[in-house]
Amino acid sequence: METAAAEVENRMAEPFIVFDDIRMRFGPADEGMPPVLDGIDLAFPKNSFVSIVGRSGCGKTTLLNIAAGLVKATSGEVRIDGKAVKGPGEGQGVVFQQHALFPWLTAAGNVEFGTRTRGLPKEEKRQVARDLLDLVGLGHAVDKYPRELSGGMQQRVAIARALAMDPEILLMDEPFGALDELTRIELQQELLRVWEAQKKTVVFITHSINEALILSDRVILLAPHPGRVHKDIDITLPRPRERTDPAFNEMYQEIWEGLSS
Amino acid sequence: MNERWTRALTAIAVFGVLILAWEYASTNGLLKPYKFPPPSKIARGFVELATKGFPKDLTLWVHVQTTVARILQGYVYALALAIPLGFLVGALPLLEKLTNPLIVFGRSIATLSLLPLVIVWFGTGELTKVILIGYGCFWTMISNVIAGVKYVDRTLIAAARTMGVSGLNLYWSVILPAALPRMFAGARMALGVGFMVIVGAEMIGTIEGLGALIMEARTFYRSDITIIGMLVIGVIGFLISSGLMRLERVLIPWDTGLQDVRR
Amino acid sequence: MSGRTSLSDILLGLVGTLIVLAVWEFAARGGFVDASIFPSPLLAFESAMQKLTTADVLSHIGWSLYRVVAGFLLGAACGIAVGIAAGWYRFANYILVPLIELLRPIPPLAWIPLAIIWFGLGEPSKFFIIFLGAFFPVVTATYRGVMSVDPMLIRAAQTHGLKGVRLLAQVAVPGAAPDLATGIRIGWGLSFGILVAAELIAADRGLGYMIMHARLLGNVDVIVVGIVLIGILNLATDALIAWGIGKWIGRWHAT
Repeated sequence: METAAAEVENRMAEPFIVFDDIRMRFGPADEGMPPVLDGIDLAFPKNSFVSIVGRSGCGKTTLLNIAAGLVKATSGEVRIDGKAVKGPGEGQGVVFQQHALFPWLTAAGNVEFGTRTRGLPKEEKRQVARDLLDLVGLGHAVDKYPRELSGGMQQRVAIARALAMDPEILLMDEPFGALDELTRIELQQELLRVWEAQKKTVVFITHSINEALILSDRVILLAPHPGRVHKDIDITLPRPRERTDPAFNEMYQEIWEGLSS
Repeated sequence: MNERWTRALTAIAVFGVLILAWEYASTNGLLKPYKFPPPSKIARGFVELATKGFPKDLTLWVHVQTTVARILQGYVYALALAIPLGFLVGALPLLEKLTNPLIVFGRSIATLSLLPLVIVWFGTGELTKVILIGYGCFWTMISNVIAGVKYVDRTLIAAARTMGVSGLNLYWSVILPAALPRMFAGARMALGVGFMVIVGAEMIGTIEGLGALIMEARTFYRSDITIIGMLVIGVIGFLISSGLMRLERVLIPWDTGLQDVRR
Repeated sequence: MSGRTSLSDILLGLVGTLIVLAVWEFAARGGFVDASIFPSPLLAFESAMQKLTTADVLSHIGWSLYRVVAGFLLGAACGIAVGIAAGWYRFANYILVPLIELLRPIPPLAWIPLAIIWFGLGEPSKFFIIFLGAFFPVVTATYRGVMSVDPMLIRAAQTHGLKGVRLLAQVAVPGAAPDLATGIRIGWGLSFGILVAAELIAADRGLGYMIMHARLLGNVDVIVVGIVLIGILNLATDALIAWGIGKWIGRWHAT
């Protein structure tokens, strides 16, 4: 008989998203340039929040694009819940650094757009959009156009839109990178709230160690030239994470050293 | 690199195929040779135009010179007036508000609609055409000069002021350079306008000039010459606008690019 | 861009216009110039009304408008269709763009003799020229607009499962709409100018004809009225189009 704890551990151990020997090269092999991604092997369990951290050029965005199906890896495959990723629009929600909201649709319109793959009747689409916008704290901005919203609000709409797909996985490419510090901190908290409420698996790219520590269960350090997994660190700090916690600082150091080496 | 090659080759292939098909169709009666003169005839016509001329003694070169001379005259006069006046109006908000409707209306008057009037006043000579071109170029240019001066980034002006620059110096060293990209865009548009105007103006009451050439050719059933004339007009238009763009890049290397300026 | 036009702006504009009209009026009446060839605006209007009936004028206006609207609509519609194809499909782009760019520098008016050769002296030839006047600006603006849609928007739409024609219709086309709108506005202005020219050169009805005819009869007053009418019509229709564009994309696009 499995104890509850063992059951949880089991479930946690089953990988939900798998990167299987991903290699990516731009241009022919003999050109002397190292591959962008050189054999990435990763596995994340369901409902985990994983951050991928690395300096520019380490291939983190490419990795995300491969997982999103926007780019084909030179070799290797990404499997989500056992199925290989073949193209975009298969159920991975993506949030980009530039919000990429459709300027000709209102906030509600943009989020509704995200529901298109779910085949809902019109009224339900509208309701879903409203609910999600409420969830990200934008219930009052339902009919505003992107250009009428601040950067932070735009990113929140982008997150709501990605969630509207009811995706199994949320892929986020430095979504808060273009925002100011205060808005960033706010949105991190929002994201955590949403993650806990909706129970999604999140793969989050950032170059901010702080951000990775505040948000994730696990941090993957990617090293560049060629892109490879340098370290895979479990973050065992209790939530909510406190920057002032000495354990937090220890982890920070660990990661920082990992990046600098 | 690859893309450029594919584009160039496809373009050449497309033209090649079209010309061959055209030649075939026209010489074999699939297309009426009068309406669609075969490229071979057009080529011969070109030689004739360049050497013997059409109508008698007016070679292609003469026509081109005449047209270009007319455009340039009208254009230069228009710019000479439009730039200082535009600057003045752009710099003085009161003046700008007073003259705004006038300028908007002046711009809305179809230049060629003035042709009959100008003929009544000045006859059918060269002056008429120059005036007409001048009119068209003027309003386009002045609108753009005004906009260029009016919409100079306020922060630039503020910065200059904090460094003690003011008065005429401010205009010379800050506002003028800042307005140049827009002024150049205006100059390009004005030339385009002048070009369009002259082609139309030359179709009435003259036998020299490219517009006149293509009209005359039709009366004599020389459709091949009409087509040559059209192509030459197109080439000249193209040369003029790319020449100006090159000049622009030389004179204002800092331009952040204002290719899509709204009229 | 510029803020709302305030009441004082409008008033100043009116003042400026009145000053100009007054100067014109004085110059004409003051005998500085021969009144028969440089009439004052009021006199011109008066005497013109004696020579023309309202019915005449309306008929001319009607014909002119009919020509330009018909030619423009077809030209713009074709321009949009071809522009979208050339902007979205690589194959179409490689074939169509060289052709468009080859013909574009040729001013539509330069097509007049050829149009007459192809279609004779009647309506079709004028229609064709006006069509060209609308076609080129619209097709160029459209294909450039489609080509330059923010790639992030396309990616985002792809992650939602959009592709093919639906991706084109629901993302690329709206994304290109602002450029398209500019093209339409420019195309209309061009079509209008071309209409006038075409009517001057070869027509038996319409405002351009009205002016030409007046010249033959020596009626400078009618010429002036005709010119002013065309100017007003141009202004009014452009304002109408600008308003229409504002309604179409004004809410989400900052011009």
